[in-house]
Amino acid sequence: MLNYIARRLINMIVLLVAVSFIGFFIIQLPPGTILDVQLQKLRQMGGDVPRDQVKALELRYGVNDPFIVKYLKWVQRSAEGDFGTSYLTDQSVGERIWGRLSVSLGLSLFALIFTWLVSIPIGVYSATHRYTTPDYIVTFIQFIGLAVPGFLLALIILIFATRYFNQQVGGINSSEFMDQPMSLAKFMDMVNHLWIAVLVLAFGATAGLTRIMRANLLDVLNMQYIQTARAKGLDEAVVIWKHAVRNAIHPLVMSLGTLLPALVVGETLVAQVLSLPTIGPMYLDALRAEDMYLAGTILVMLSALLLIGNLLADLLLAWVDPRIRLE
Amino acid sequence: MTSQPTTPITTTADDVVRVENLKVNFYTQLGVVRALNGVSFNIPRGKVLGIVGESGCGKSITGMSIMQLVTSVGKTEGGKILFNESAGGNPINILDYERNSPEMRKIRGNNISMIFQEPMSSLNPCYTISNQIEEAIRLHQTNDKVESRNRAIEVLTKVGMPNPDRIADSFPHELSGGMRQRAMIAMALSCTPTLLIADEPTTALDVTTEASILDLMRELQSEIGTSIMFITHNMGVVAQMCDEVAVMYLGRVVERASVDDIFYEPRHPYTIALLQSIPRLGRTKGRLASIEGSVPDPYSRVNGCPFHPRCPVAIKGVCDTILPEETIVDAAKGHTVRCHLYS
Amino acid sequence: MAVDATQLPHTTATQVEDVGQIPQWQLMVRRFRKSKLSVGGMYVLIVMYAIMLFSDFLAPYEHNRLDSNYAWGPPSQVQIVDGKLSTFALKQTLDTERLQWLYVVDESNPLPIQFFVQGYEYRFLAIFPSKLHLFGVKDGFQINLLGADKDGKDVLSRLLKGSQISLTLGFVGVVISVIIGSIVGTASGYFGGAIDNMIQRVIELLRSFPDIPLFLSLAAALPQNAPVEVRFFLITIIIAVIGWTGLAREVRGKVMSYRNADYTAASVAAGGSHWHIITRHLIPNSLSHIIVVGTLAIPAAIGSETALSFLGLGILPPAVSWGVMVRDAQTIEAITTYPWMLLPVLVLIITVLSFYLLGDGIRDAVDPYA
Repeated sequence: MLNYIARRLINMIVLLVAVSFIGFFIIQLPPGTILDVQLQKLRQMGGDVPRDQVKALELRYGVNDPFIVKYLKWVQRSAEGDFGTSYLTDQSVGERIWGRLSVSLGLSLFALIFTWLVSIPIGVYSATHRYTTPDYIVTFIQFIGLAVPGFLLALIILIFATRYFNQQVGGINSSEFMDQPMSLAKFMDMVNHLWIAVLVLAFGATAGLTRIMRANLLDVLNMQYIQTARAKGLDEAVVIWKHAVRNAIHPLVMSLGTLLPALVVGETLVAQVLSLPTIGPMYLDALRAEDMYLAGTILVMLSALLLIGNLLADLLLAWVDPRIRLE
Repeated sequence: MTSQPTTPITTTADDVVRVENLKVNFYTQLGVVRALNGVSFNIPRGKVLGIVGESGCGKSITGMSIMQLVTSVGKTEGGKILFNESAGGNPINILDYERNSPEMRKIRGNNISMIFQEPMSSLNPCYTISNQIEEAIRLHQTNDKVESRNRAIEVLTKVGMPNPDRIADSFPHELSGGMRQRAMIAMALSCTPTLLIADEPTTALDVTTEASILDLMRELQSEIGTSIMFITHNMGVVAQMCDEVAVMYLGRVVERASVDDIFYEPRHPYTIALLQSIPRLGRTKGRLASIEGSVPDPYSRVNGCPFHPRCPVAIKGVCDTILPEETIVDAAKGHTVRCHLYS
Repeated sequence: MAVDATQLPHTTATQVEDVGQIPQWQLMVRRFRKSKLSVGGMYVLIVMYAIMLFSDFLAPYEHNRLDSNYAWGPPSQVQIVDGKLSTFALKQTLDTERLQWLYVVDESNPLPIQFFVQGYEYRFLAIFPSKLHLFGVKDGFQINLLGADKDGKDVLSRLLKGSQISLTLGFVGVVISVIIGSIVGTASGYFGGAIDNMIQRVIELLRSFPDIPLFLSLAAALPQNAPVEVRFFLITIIIAVIGWTGLAREVRGKVMSYRNADYTAASVAAGGSHWHIITRHLIPNSLSHIIVVGTLAIPAAIGSETALSFLGLGILPPAVSWGVMVRDAQTIEAITTYPWMLLPVLVLIITVLSFYLLGDGIRDAVDPYA
């Protein structure tokens, strides 16, 4: 077991190195550099930048270094825990990413919990009440959930919330709490702002997982061991929740690995609409501004998240299903 | 033919279960399937009754009906299933209870238990053997964890599990097919049921394992005194296991007799055809007999005797119009048959 | 004992009359027809793609034609005036308080709708040059059946033009990824060993990238000022590059199980070549599965295009796709005041939904036990 985890971790590090290299390569592909973007901005504002100053900036940011040198510099600094200074704001990259990533992760975790809490019982209900009206309704909502993009749902909820409930939904805190330290009131305000984001993020995933749960449970309910359990005299509820659900839950556990990172980055568009300070829009801005240190670091972090998620999912799966051996 | 001693049965025998005119229909998307068209038979206390027939004749459905485990598309349309727990007691009609009612659940696994055909899939892969056996014990016998564990080990020992302590903590996928079927039997016998329904318990096993499982069942049967309803399509297994036999065809019992009578004095043309299609040692010449035609489409209804389209001795104008009634051919031995030849 | 090894003759329990006589695909068609929703989805898609083929003919205006007289213009009213199907001219005034254009229908100035009129030039089916359009009104006025956007561009024309990109981009992307995925998956599953190992490592690496960020960074690397066709092609490639790995894994699994099947062994024993075995046994057996996975991947790919365009990384104006149009609908103001701006979203949802329903139906028809 420990051996297995160790091997997976080593494999993960190898993959991350490859990801960072390829990712960094893709990110620096667009012609031009962050400096061009900045200089252009300055010139548009009417300021003229003297030639020798440009030269000095180029030297400082190393924009003319060959790709491999840039990459190695970035890796070396990252290894020292210094993720570099963002070209955009001159702030430490690490600091900015952590702030945003924690909001993203928090939102996604809540969304994930919501997804599970809703999709398992509804999937079970739908499967055990097949071809009844509630089942059709659930199926219909599932298809809507699959077909309606999250950002649109965000937009619709935004309209309703502002129009009919007179609620401020954009952002993470109301303006009056912006600079205050954390308090119960601020926390409640945050909850008030974020529940829509959680709901929107979770909706699509919930629809998908409910479908999977229903289909799997229907399969499992045809298995012989379900009859065995009934033949023992167990209550139908025990038969379903103890014997059937545990066998039907595999894909949901596996989805944990991909769902969490997918939620973390999937909020890019939702965050755009709801103006949330999460990692998605930040990544997008970094890409647009060709801030490759920032973008590269975010990409590698998300990739690490994905790999860790997959590992956790595999471990959890082995715990749920004794037939799976970790080798 | 058979080495089992058989005692003649009397019509006044004390029955564990008496099924009367049981009708079950399946309402499927393609139409109504009349799975059981009035099945009647009895299981004498302490005996092994074999239910024989081709696939699709309704023998498994009959077993499931007694447990009330038929899936929800199957509806019981009539008849009675009288269950009498102890000799001289008052029989209860199982069909009076709801499928998932507490009364029904008290009977299941406690008074009547069941083992299935596929040992590979009849145990839940996610739980250990002892967990699954203890579940039944705790449900019906004792709440005590230590005691239920001890009992589980005890039944595992009884079914001849080598190393029962270790087996108890293994998962089904770690055991062979024969071991799993032993575990299933242990689970079914854990609450010493009055009746055990065995639905083709050895069909999926290889011949040597089959023999040892049959020996085990026979042994436990005489030791505990449980009555067994043994569902099979294998005449050889019938000869080895059963005291009495009910032959089923298309949802009806067509012949009912002691095992000796079935093999030596079969009456119904279908039973005779079944026996003729068994290959025998020493008979080297000639083709093996087979039954002409095939089982009719389950959605259609056959007029008259359901076997007449395939029957070599069908009487024109009688067998294809009138459904034969159950006729007693030997009252002393309880031999009955549903055929116009004997009415 | 002689009877121990005996068995009853097995007669097949149910013999539905036609089974075995009609080909497998016809059975699938029968099963598919049973699912009303899926059949409905199929018809919706057929209609949509048919409209797409005739989109230039159906569109009254060039999708980028500006007319400030119709900025945020509401959908035109259509009535019969003097026995002719007509719409009306609009009077535009500025609400200085709310800074909004107000429109009043000028009932005194009916504009008869003309059919089969000459308009902007296009190539029908990308081949035959034509100027013919289904309908229009006299010059100097505009008919906006579905309203106009902030520059007075006709929403109907844009929707029709946008369908040319939105309905094909995801589709083509999935087709390419299906081709790559099938070839790689088959090779990996059939040959096994070192080839399989290598391919699996590559797939593992690609799957270590979170797909949306990878998608975004690849899209950001696209040349900004390339012509639409080039951009279209490159985005298709991106969709394919990201999408093929999942399919390759599934195909590999299927091929591996079929490779171990008896009929494959029989073919090997009969001296069948690799090519023969792959094309005769493995691909036909995996095909239904590939089609199902492909159909279900299309709506996701359409969604990806929309998302990219919405973020300004996909199709860029002046070209138009539904994603580009959704971008115009992202403010609350636009939606609450000018609800017709939400039409591209509606069309998009219907399309994606239809694809899901279709894919679901095909899956159930192909493999009723899955």
